[in-house]
Amino acid sequence: MSELLAALTPGNLVACFVGVVLGTIVGVLPGLGPAGAMALVLPLTVKLGPTAGLIMLAGIYYGSMYGGSTTSILVNVPGEAASVVTTIDGYRLARKGRAGAALAVAALASFVAGTFSVVALQLAAPPVARIALAFGPAEYFAFALLGVALLATLSGGSPAKALATVVVGVILSTVGMDPLGGTVRFTFDVDGAQAGLSFIAVTAGLFGVAEVLATMAEPSSTTPPTRVRFRELYPSRAELRRSLPPMLRGTGLGFLIGLVPGPAATIAAFASYGVEKKVSRHRAELGTGAIEGVAGPEAANNAAAGGGMVPLLALGLPFTPSTAVLLSGMLLSGVTPGPFLLRDHPQVFWGVIGSFYVGNAMLLLLNLPLVGLFARVATIPQRYLMPAVLLLCAVAAYADNNNAFDVWVMVAAGILGYAMRGLGYDPAPLVLGLVLGPLLERSLLQALTIGRGDVRELWSSAPAAVMLAAAAVAFVSPAARTCLHLWTRGRRPSPAE
Amino acid sequence: MSPRSARRDRWTAAALAVLALAYLGLGRHYPLDTLATPGPGVFPLVAGLALLVLATWQLLAAGRSASAEGAAGTTRGPAPRGGSSLARAPLAMSLVLALYASILPIVGFLPASVSLVFLSARLMGLPGWWRPAVLAVGLTLACRVLFGSWLGVPLP
Repeated sequence: MSELLAALTPGNLVACFVGVVLGTIVGVLPGLGPAGAMALVLPLTVKLGPTAGLIMLAGIYYGSMYGGSTTSILVNVPGEAASVVTTIDGYRLARKGRAGAALAVAALASFVAGTFSVVALQLAAPPVARIALAFGPAEYFAFALLGVALLATLSGGSPAKALATVVVGVILSTVGMDPLGGTVRFTFDVDGAQAGLSFIAVTAGLFGVAEVLATMAEPSSTTPPTRVRFRELYPSRAELRRSLPPMLRGTGLGFLIGLVPGPAATIAAFASYGVEKKVSRHRAELGTGAIEGVAGPEAANNAAAGGGMVPLLALGLPFTPSTAVLLSGMLLSGVTPGPFLLRDHPQVFWGVIGSFYVGNAMLLLLNLPLVGLFARVATIPQRYLMPAVLLLCAVAAYADNNNAFDVWVMVAAGILGYAMRGLGYDPAPLVLGLVLGPLLERSLLQALTIGRGDVRELWSSAPAAVMLAAAAVAFVSPAARTCLHLWTRGRRPSPAE
Repeated sequence: MSPRSARRDRWTAAALAVLALAYLGLGRHYPLDTLATPGPGVFPLVAGLALLVLATWQLLAAGRSASAEGAAGTTRGPAPRGGSSLARAPLAMSLVLALYASILPIVGFLPASVSLVFLSARLMGLPGWWRPAVLAVGLTLACRVLFGSWLGVPLP
């Protein structure tokens, strides 16, 4: 209990406040997502110490989920991909003069879901961590591989593209010293590359610099936000009554989806909207400005953010770019997440969990009265904002290792990220490949060594065998569909025949 | 999928295959040793082969889409959006960033960062000279104070 209360120390409260405010602003601004913003402030959080630093990073993560809804409702511009669904009914409610009610319900739904997911995280993470204590290299290899497979299958785009992007990330992770023997690989005698490619530089480039380049290629105009007065923020009793069931359904659904690798918050929001279209009493109104279309998806994307923390804190495995940056922040602060986190750093674990309660309360208090102010942030011209993003990216990249080589890495990653967008590749799997690469290599080689060269060691235990089989199904099924399609097309007579 | 995007996917898949082959070629410099005592070359070999397989898969999938579209009679994709000036802007910004990375260790943080913000603000369309200049000096000094003085990051 005393460790949980560590979140209430003045330093941690300030870190939490700064984190949730930054997160809300990032959520409000279209483009720069939470992962990029978290990477930009990593140097700052390292200086704050492990508990306060992680509280700030986590605040940005879940604060962005709150902020994303504001511009969706007021300006019809989703700040985050996870808030796209909210624009459907949220903006229509604003057009009907119910912007205040929609914003209040979005904030309440986020609060309810955020609080529920913290309780669930608090209950789920310790037992999962205890189970993970029995995991050896083979189980970790199988679990990481399953995560990659599910990510590729569930991300919505082409599985071949997503998998190829993960593998490119894994390949980039092999630059520098190998994790077991210390052999320096693929550095081309560049001194700065010996420690490997800086994760912060790659993330800042892929998300920050690439966003600036994409903005330049397709400049967008901003819509003036709908003006909301404080007294208009109260939803009616009927609106509150209608919001509660979708809020609860979205919370449960979002937390479960958050446990699965992939863009969980976005999937959760869409899934919640889909569920409401099936089961809501007012499903006919969805799409025309129904409060259920705000309450459900907003609860779901916030609960998914909490669910995504379970594999990170309990297993040390990040399955989203944001949790990958959190992992990086933990490692930089000398804290290794995973089954031993609770034993070795209980003050960090419970301090971060405690901060979630405080942060959710802060967000509710901030988002209601200051909603008009946050909406105005979205209208800051990009010609002022983007140079600042570039400079912060450069400082973040340099500050990781005090190395100019990392600035080059950031520039290259930015150009790569921009090219990937144009070619229809999502950069998120690359970040995960970069993070999971060393774990995959270490666990694969350790398992082979334990098995004295016998590859059957990889599936010698039941959990490893089940996870590998599931990964194989996830890998093979899309490829099999491609082959089957090619085969049937070959047998089908052509129109000329 | 339009023929244009199918063609684009085929080229990307081919580029990935070339990357995989180059990576596998470079990885040959590192010993494989034995499976019982795997060397530093084992994992790059596995990763390179995986990328090669995925590039081939993508090549097949792109070919399938292109021929399906071809059979359906689709011959042309949509015209590219934006003019040539919009296409040039990201290229110019990339060059500015490369210039920044080059001069940062030579001239130091303040002059390099002022130049970066000034040029990027101009490229983003901030009119005149004094506004970009004020933005550049203000942002750079704020970063210098926050990261250099307050957080102790040893900026060059």
